[in-house]
Amino acid sequence: MKRLAVMAMALVMLVLVIHGPSAGGPREPIVLRIDEVAVAEIDPAKSTDFVDSILFYNLYDTLVAAAPGGKLVPSLAESWTVSPDGLAYAFKIRRGMKFHDGTELTAADVEFSLQRMMALKQGFSYLYDGWVSAVKASGPSTVAITLTRPYGPFLATLVRLGVVNRALVLKNKKDGKFGEFGDYGDAFLSTTDAGSGPYRIKAHNPQQLSVIEKFPGYWQVFAVNAPDEVRVLLSVEAATIRTLMVRREHDVTSQWLPTEIYRALGDTPGIALATERGQSNLFLKINTKRAPTDDLNVRRAMVLGFDYAAVLRLIQINDRVAAGKTARGPIPEGFPGFDPTLPVPKRDVAAAKAALAQAKSKNVELEFGWVAEVPLEEKIALLFQQNMADIGVNVKVVKVPWALMTEKATKPDTTPNIVPIFFAGTYPDPDSFLYSTYHGSAAGSWTSMEWLQSKDVDGLLDRARTTANPDQRLSLYKQAQKMIVDQVPDIYPYEQFAVFAYQEYVTPAFVDPAKAIPVQGAHWNFRLWQVDMAKKKAMGGK
Amino acid sequence: MLLGLSLLIFVIARVIPGDPARIALGPLASRAQIAALRAQMYLDEPLPVQYAHYVRGVVRGDFGESLYTHRPVTTDLHDLFPATLELVLYAGLLMVAVGVPLGILAASYRDTWVDTLVRLISLGGVVTPAFVWAIVLMLIFAYALGVLPVAGRLSAGAVPPPPVTGLVTIDALLDRNPATYLDFLRHLVLPAVSLALAGVAQAARLTRASMVDVAGRPFIEAARAFGISNARIALKYMLKPSLIPTVTILGLDFAALLGNAFLVEAVFNWPGIARYGVQVILRKDLNAIVAVVIIMGLFFVVINFLIDILVGYLDPRIRLRQADEAA
Repeated sequence: MKRLAVMAMALVMLVLVIHGPSAGGPREPIVLRIDEVAVAEIDPAKSTDFVDSILFYNLYDTLVAAAPGGKLVPSLAESWTVSPDGLAYAFKIRRGMKFHDGTELTAADVEFSLQRMMALKQGFSYLYDGWVSAVKASGPSTVAITLTRPYGPFLATLVRLGVVNRALVLKNKKDGKFGEFGDYGDAFLSTTDAGSGPYRIKAHNPQQLSVIEKFPGYWQVFAVNAPDEVRVLLSVEAATIRTLMVRREHDVTSQWLPTEIYRALGDTPGIALATERGQSNLFLKINTKRAPTDDLNVRRAMVLGFDYAAVLRLIQINDRVAAGKTARGPIPEGFPGFDPTLPVPKRDVAAAKAALAQAKSKNVELEFGWVAEVPLEEKIALLFQQNMADIGVNVKVVKVPWALMTEKATKPDTTPNIVPIFFAGTYPDPDSFLYSTYHGSAAGSWTSMEWLQSKDVDGLLDRARTTANPDQRLSLYKQAQKMIVDQVPDIYPYEQFAVFAYQEYVTPAFVDPAKAIPVQGAHWNFRLWQVDMAKKKAMGGK
Repeated sequence: MLLGLSLLIFVIARVIPGDPARIALGPLASRAQIAALRAQMYLDEPLPVQYAHYVRGVVRGDFGESLYTHRPVTTDLHDLFPATLELVLYAGLLMVAVGVPLGILAASYRDTWVDTLVRLISLGGVVTPAFVWAIVLMLIFAYALGVLPVAGRLSAGAVPPPPVTGLVTIDALLDRNPATYLDFLRHLVLPAVSLALAGVAQAARLTRASMVDVAGRPFIEAARAFGISNARIALKYMLKPSLIPTVTILGLDFAALLGNAFLVEAVFNWPGIARYGVQVILRKDLNAIVAVVIIMGLFFVVINFLIDILVGYLDPRIRLRQADEAA
């Protein structure tokens, strides 16, 4: 009997060892799976796209960070001073921060990172070309940056300056054209990271999959249930993502799926839709240097003849979620510089016809070129064609591949009369939207297919750039926007919201509008995301 | 031949509209950035000079850097080609292993319901593009039934075998890792079947037609007169001569799988060279375009060479003619 009891107890112990609760043992890692469009560039000196930005904000730290509302807050730099003439910036670097290899981040790394970015001449280096004359570290915690002339958006642009580990990069440099710096770690940083961000690279294939894992030595706290590992699948077909989501084998979709897929996912139990706002606008760029849209009356007629309510219906996902709202000028609401006093555009067919009657040409025909890779633009093009037919304008709709569109944008004669372009702010400053779109020096790029080239607008934008006082700058940008809207270089059909579908066991940071950060990719700091594993299991998540 | 192919694709890639430097550097690149990259890529030089620079690199095994992935093109090809090769090999195997027996079955039961059924299925296979099969099969077996995986070569948690050949099935066997091997096979089923279906149908139709043709030959009549069974006649005397046209066409189909794999790879998120090829064309990634075309051309040449050898084995007249010419 006694032997039987001992055997029974041993059996119970064995079962508990095999299947029992593992108190004190390692918990199951929290894995978050998202998808984006390839190719994922992880070198901070080259990254520009959405997926690049997501990885950038997780792998690297910046001197300053964008906060809700576009406010700038200290990050690696715990404080900074600006000289009265606006030319000299001195940053005090926070001490005790570690790179992913455990070495300490110092001012020398900041100096190296800015020099590297300017030398490589890729990514966002144009933000510093011609503006930064010197960068010098003095001691481990002070770095001084000198500008050639006052540069108002300078602090805001620093949200795109990722600080790299100087020693690690130089240790892994290859032969190259940068003298003692070899290739400046060009090859090395395309395959792995050398940052100090909350996550570090675990595996990286730029077209297939990027896996990042939590960096335990990070200097800021992680949210409870923040993912331990994030897997970024790249360029997966919409139908495949839909299947993976329904099977709970995927957690958050990209923003590039067709409306029908979002609608279907929104109707699936356990899957919710969320929007990210305040970053992007749709512009119908009007070529102001090519007939007949070089005529202000034709442009006014088009703005008055376009059906804004119909375009909003076109982007309605379901009765709760829309992919945008009415726009008011070139800057979206929530982004620094948004002007709430600008008029809300409305369709007025009679006024459009009246404006057209004053046009130089009585037989108005124009070309609408839509980007072949964005099917939604075709729907907008056809709506525009129908609206313009109502007021007597004949529109020829042309499908143009993106590679060809960038070529067409280089000359006013080849740029179509109308081109729809989605544009998102990349640093929290009005300059991000206005300079690259309306300044004369930007003409010839796809961001500036308006060919506005107005001396008055250029003057205001230049003054705003070279003014140090933030209030004065905002006032100048307000004047510039008023002047721009009066010259009608664009139709603003709607302010774009990026739509994402996600499993309800995930809490993305951008779900709360009060925490909206109007900078591309900045919401995707996974340190602040949460995955409820108990809920995931209950919902059948795999 | 490959030199001619490289020259042709080199010129074509450069004359299609679009500035590769502008596309590569992204929307906000400055004129100075674009000019610097154009100079680095010799794009401002005359075409013969550009080609000479390119050939000099290729001779050293350097296909240049991809503007799409910002990595050496050789690294991209090394990472991606094995995945496509493995997919294509299994799809080719299916084409032969399923298509030929189906053709034999149809010919053996000529003008019966079996023949009609095989011909109908074959017709469906030939006229339906691979990507349609991919979506349909995914909806049935992954979405509705949930019995097969949807994407990738291995499950998310699976540890890939140490890369020796790059072919997961071989590497998993070398690593004595049956779990990974089986996991890979489960991932392979849908993409390989989608890709193979058109070839299966083609093989079935060709085999049937050839066997029906051979069935009327005098030597088959003689075999029947000797009282040899129908099954033995079909497999021993009819099949070998019937396979000659099938093998020739299947060889071409097999080589074409490499190009046809694009949408199947896209649907099943298969990390292969076909999808890469389309992406680099869309982005006008000159170095990668030329390298992918050369690799595909090389694959085509190798497959055709092997098919010629196989046809020589199947048809003694070809062997004997070559031997006579050599003598």
